[in-house]
Amino acid sequence: MTEPPQTAEPTAPEPEAAPAPAADGRASQTPAAVRRRAVLAGAAVSVLLILAIVLGSRLLRDFDSALLPYAVATVFLAFGVAYRYTVWISAPGARRLFRQGWRSFFSADNFRKAPTALPKMIATYLGFQKFLGARSHARWAAHQLLFWGCILAALITFPLTWGWFTFTSSTGDGPGYEMRIWGFKVLGFDSLNILGWLMFHGLDIAAVLVIAGASYFLWRRMKDRAAITGQRFAYDLIPLIALIVISVTGLLLTFSSIFLHGGGYEFLAILHMVSVVFTLIYIPFGKFFHIVQRPAAVGMQLFKYTSRRKDEELQTCRRCHEPIDTPDYVENLRGTMKDLKLDFDEWAEYCPRCKRVLRGNAYLTHVKKGFK
Amino acid sequence: MMGRTIFIDPGRCIGCQACVSACRECDSHRGKSMIHLDYTDEGHSVASLPTVCMHCEDPVAPCAEVCPADAILVTADGVVQQADTTRCIGCANCVNACPFGVPKIDLQAKLQMKCNLCYDRTAYGLAPMCATVCPTGALFYGTLDELRAERPGVQVADSFTFGDVVVQTGVAMVVPADKVQWPVPGGLPVVEINGVDVSGANPNKGGGGRGEGVR
Amino acid sequence: MTATDPSRAVPLDPSVAPPGTRNFRDAGGIPADRWHADQNEETLVPTHCCFCGVQCGMYLRVDRAGKVFGVEPRNHDINRMRLCPKGINAYQQVNHPDRLTSPLMRRNRDEEFREVSWEEALDHTVAEIRRIQGEYGNDAFGLLGGASLYSEKTYLVGKFARVALRSKHVDYNGRLCMVSAAGANKLAFGIDRAGNPFSDILLTDCLLIAGSNVGECFPVMTQYLWGARDRGASLIVVDPRQTAIARTADVHVALKPGTDSAFFNAVLHVIVAEGLTDEAYLAAHTTGWDEVRATVAEYPPSRSALICGVPEEQIVQVARMFAGAGRAMAWHARGVEHHSQGVENCLTIINLCVATGNIGKPGAGYGTITGQGNGQGGREHGQKSDLLPGGRSITNPEHRRQICEIWGIEESELPAAGTSMMEMVWQMQRAEIRGLIGICNNPFVSLPNYATVKEGYDTLQFHAQFDFFLSETAANAHVVFPVTVWAEDEGVMANAEARVVKHNKAQEPPAGVRTDTWVMCELAKRLGAGDKFAFPDSRAVFEELRIASAGTVNDYYGITYERLEETGGIAWPCPTTEHPGTPRLFEDGRTYHPDGKIHMQVVEWHPPMDPYSEEYPLSLTTGRTVAHFLSGNQTRRLGALVEQTPRPWVEVHPSHGFRNGDPVRVVTRRGSEVFPALVTEAIRPDTVFVPYHWPVPTAANALTIDALDPRSKIPEYKVCAARIEAAEHVDEVPAPPTAPGQLAYPETQVSRTDPLPPTSPQGRGTAERS
Repeated sequence: MTEPPQTAEPTAPEPEAAPAPAADGRASQTPAAVRRRAVLAGAAVSVLLILAIVLGSRLLRDFDSALLPYAVATVFLAFGVAYRYTVWISAPGARRLFRQGWRSFFSADNFRKAPTALPKMIATYLGFQKFLGARSHARWAAHQLLFWGCILAALITFPLTWGWFTFTSSTGDGPGYEMRIWGFKVLGFDSLNILGWLMFHGLDIAAVLVIAGASYFLWRRMKDRAAITGQRFAYDLIPLIALIVISVTGLLLTFSSIFLHGGGYEFLAILHMVSVVFTLIYIPFGKFFHIVQRPAAVGMQLFKYTSRRKDEELQTCRRCHEPIDTPDYVENLRGTMKDLKLDFDEWAEYCPRCKRVLRGNAYLTHVKKGFK
Repeated sequence: MMGRTIFIDPGRCIGCQACVSACRECDSHRGKSMIHLDYTDEGHSVASLPTVCMHCEDPVAPCAEVCPADAILVTADGVVQQADTTRCIGCANCVNACPFGVPKIDLQAKLQMKCNLCYDRTAYGLAPMCATVCPTGALFYGTLDELRAERPGVQVADSFTFGDVVVQTGVAMVVPADKVQWPVPGGLPVVEINGVDVSGANPNKGGGGRGEGVR
Repeated sequence: MTATDPSRAVPLDPSVAPPGTRNFRDAGGIPADRWHADQNEETLVPTHCCFCGVQCGMYLRVDRAGKVFGVEPRNHDINRMRLCPKGINAYQQVNHPDRLTSPLMRRNRDEEFREVSWEEALDHTVAEIRRIQGEYGNDAFGLLGGASLYSEKTYLVGKFARVALRSKHVDYNGRLCMVSAAGANKLAFGIDRAGNPFSDILLTDCLLIAGSNVGECFPVMTQYLWGARDRGASLIVVDPRQTAIARTADVHVALKPGTDSAFFNAVLHVIVAEGLTDEAYLAAHTTGWDEVRATVAEYPPSRSALICGVPEEQIVQVARMFAGAGRAMAWHARGVEHHSQGVENCLTIINLCVATGNIGKPGAGYGTITGQGNGQGGREHGQKSDLLPGGRSITNPEHRRQICEIWGIEESELPAAGTSMMEMVWQMQRAEIRGLIGICNNPFVSLPNYATVKEGYDTLQFHAQFDFFLSETAANAHVVFPVTVWAEDEGVMANAEARVVKHNKAQEPPAGVRTDTWVMCELAKRLGAGDKFAFPDSRAVFEELRIASAGTVNDYYGITYERLEETGGIAWPCPTTEHPGTPRLFEDGRTYHPDGKIHMQVVEWHPPMDPYSEEYPLSLTTGRTVAHFLSGNQTRRLGALVEQTPRPWVEVHPSHGFRNGDPVRVVTRRGSEVFPALVTEAIRPDTVFVPYHWPVPTAANALTIDALDPRSKIPEYKVCAARIEAAEHVDEVPAPPTAPGQLAYPETQVSRTDPLPPTSPQGRGTAERS
């Protein structure tokens, strides 16, 4: 399967959740404590976002009250993401990897010797998602459509919703427009030329990309037995349907304003808004959470990369001496296993084949050699 | 304790690898075989051991526990699924933590894969591909009663020891009647005594490994 | 990716994972992302496996476009859904890129093949037949069939040779397979088939398996062995190697190759000495017992133990276990049959069963496990040099008359008995046979003493071959006819139980491919015998076969396609359409000899034909491995099977001082080749084993001896004198031949030259693949 969709600019993990786990690495891990911490993190992030909206819209002077429901939804989204992120990062496996990832990220040595490694990783894993191509080329292509469509949509809508962008025309009604961010003029353009057309139809382009990608995935979910196995409606199908509804209603809004002189606009606008709000609030809890999680892949890669640069040798299996992984990685895994009271962590120093062979030998020797 | 599950009997296994080929016919991971077949007594006999996911029950799925991305789902019926493709980041924690050496990983696709008890088949009441085709019944799918109907008096065990730890699994192994109370040894060998490496002392353990055997 | 090398430049993707966890090249040779499981509407076509004599039922999965794309287990009572790795992968042959889709032709062997039209290929072939027969006589053109063909086609092969070619030289590759058992069965019982069905194994108290690696060659049959043991039966395995079934057997007799009859004579000696014979049964149902008793008296365990290289006590133990069991049963296969006294080896086992009264009862009896899918059916209907349809003898005037009547020819037109397959090759060498058509065989891999075989075939002035992949033999021919695989035509096969099962057509053949039936009929038409070969399809042939077998021992008359589809298989003899078939023979105590008795035969052991010497002190024995089938022309092209067992090896005992993977040269009087060593205690120190599915320079059959059993004419594959020595590097397995301009499907061949050889006779473990 593949990741569906992003509706929002991936809520970057860095600024929001970084302080929380770092501060309480050894803090108590009872579920209640984790929840408390998560609520705090959520609240903090929500407050920050509200402040950013207020300030960014020049104390609400640029804020479009028609977009208020969207803005409120983003605040909920921020709370939800921060909450879920904190809970996620509190589990031993994630916490340890999280720390290792950031340690590598902040490694000055790394930065000096391989300054391009991180940007390259981000580009391949998060941008072009090369690993999806290894799963299936069609899925990669469809996911790219979804991904860039969502990115484009988010880049346009979020700042608009927050009142950070404004488009004003000195003549009142075009065609000369100027675009301002936080009140500062960024560029002026003519809505009749290509650039202008693109500026005004960015969301329609995004919608087309998303519809194409999501339709492929939906079709696949009906047809491919690998995808159908263990498929859950709420987890696997709702996100695709939500994306398609958002995109179709968005396109219909354009259609209505151009060809129907606004016919049905009100109804469509409400439908569009409802679907967007629902999707934003759904992000932290369903399949879309992978948008937030996926950067961990970069952290993991960076960690392994750094430790491979540091150690000349890979850690090898104690029995067959075939490489397992980097020593830091094995150390990290053993720590995780100890955290989880999986006290056979020493076993991690054997390769899987030797584990099986030793178990097979033990069975032959101690349990049953032959048929009876 | 056990419902409908796989029972493994290495004593019946002829090492033919029908299970390995059958596994890749399974529609939920077509073209990729998840089962392991090892010739564990290399150089001495043709003994072999098929390994499917044991679907650990207690502790519940170590692979899922060590997963940093919450990618491994355990269904209500105790089946440990393979990694959720949207979440798996390909870190290989599960690969190296699994005490039975089960999960595989596609490094290019950044994706863990493992036996999911043929969920596409078992969900519809069919037996998994490997246990369906196994020519010898070394892999048997069904209830314990169904197994006993075929093999009167057979005993099974679903606990394995790894050092001090006992892992209880959803998949069980056939054991002789006098060993039914024992947990099955998981194979974690004694390799160090007071810091002295003794792994080479036992020819059955140190030697015969692929690293030495093949060159 | 696995590199331990401390690379200066760590790759941007630094991922590593331990061996056996990380690659999916075992994806059946087809890149994993090209295997799709998105067929919503599929049809399951019930059929059977194309490979061995067990004839497991299976469904082929057919997609909406009518293409076979997968397999699904079928609950047929032979196999109860079980399949072996060959069976599971069999379907991949059907739409395989290596398939031949156009006739290939060349005027001489120095030219490249070129694709030609069917007309041209057929006309050229007929012109050559006419020319050779015109110049050198009818018998100068030979025909070699195969036992993987449907029975209808094997019937046609015999009829084509006798009626269209009018040549006496027709034989088939079952000659390399199980004619020894056939000969022994005929001598003792007057009927050539196993006495009991597989299901009887479940009822036995003692099961003797002689010379059969059931776990690898008939994997699905293992369930019957294990089922018998679950119910308390003891298992005796006689095999020089500790095979998978021998590993856990109650007694494993690891005798020296080529000493079977000495062993079984000694076992019978003990049974007689301890009074365990069933004298009442012997008196009532046998002839020749006195002579047999007198002969086995010469084989005390002390003598045979020396010959066989086994402990005396083991002989006594086997005797007591077998004779002491309430119901005992013996099954054997090529291990005892592939000998210069193959027939006699089988006879000693028959003697054992008969002397203990274990014949024709539930759970008590005797059988041979046929190697090829239609090993049983393929020898029944006239493609054997001395047989006519219905198991009739070509030397029996009455039988000749009957067949001539059915075929509508004059008796004078019916040729006499011909010679066996290996003898035909010698005749080719001597230019007595100058033209040949081969159908469904690959003697370049499957016949012994490759040098002789190659010379024989090279001497032919004209050679045509039918096949669906270009076999090593076909690659040496003048004309190759592309024919159907089993799933593209319907027909029947008879499995090791002599149960006739129906194979169904699952898809249309690719453009350019014809059925063997069509090709033979077209050739016959051009040879002027079109009226005798007006068969539009298999069903029409089967109708004639039913009539041709009516009233004979091998009576198929009561078997129809419809009945086979209803019942899932009927064991012959089945004289009427109401007859239920005969799964178990001799229940009334009568055999098919006119006197109704079992004719026990005296057997004296003699050493193998290739003498041991200081130079050649070891026994070389050959056989199969689980992932491959016969000459490997089919299985060496299926990725999963290549992955499991990419190449042959030589199995040696650790006492020779080699380590796993060492290059070891195996030398016999006929040649030498280098294989990687598979060092294991599971083989006798005085014996080495090489599996035979690969062509030169990795062909076991470049080493084996072309000595024949005087009665069955089976070659002595299972023992020849050899020595082993250290070598520099192993010989590489060549790619399977393909049509001009084609490469053997590369995805399936990736592991062929893999440095990791098999670590166990069953192949490589899943983690042992680089």
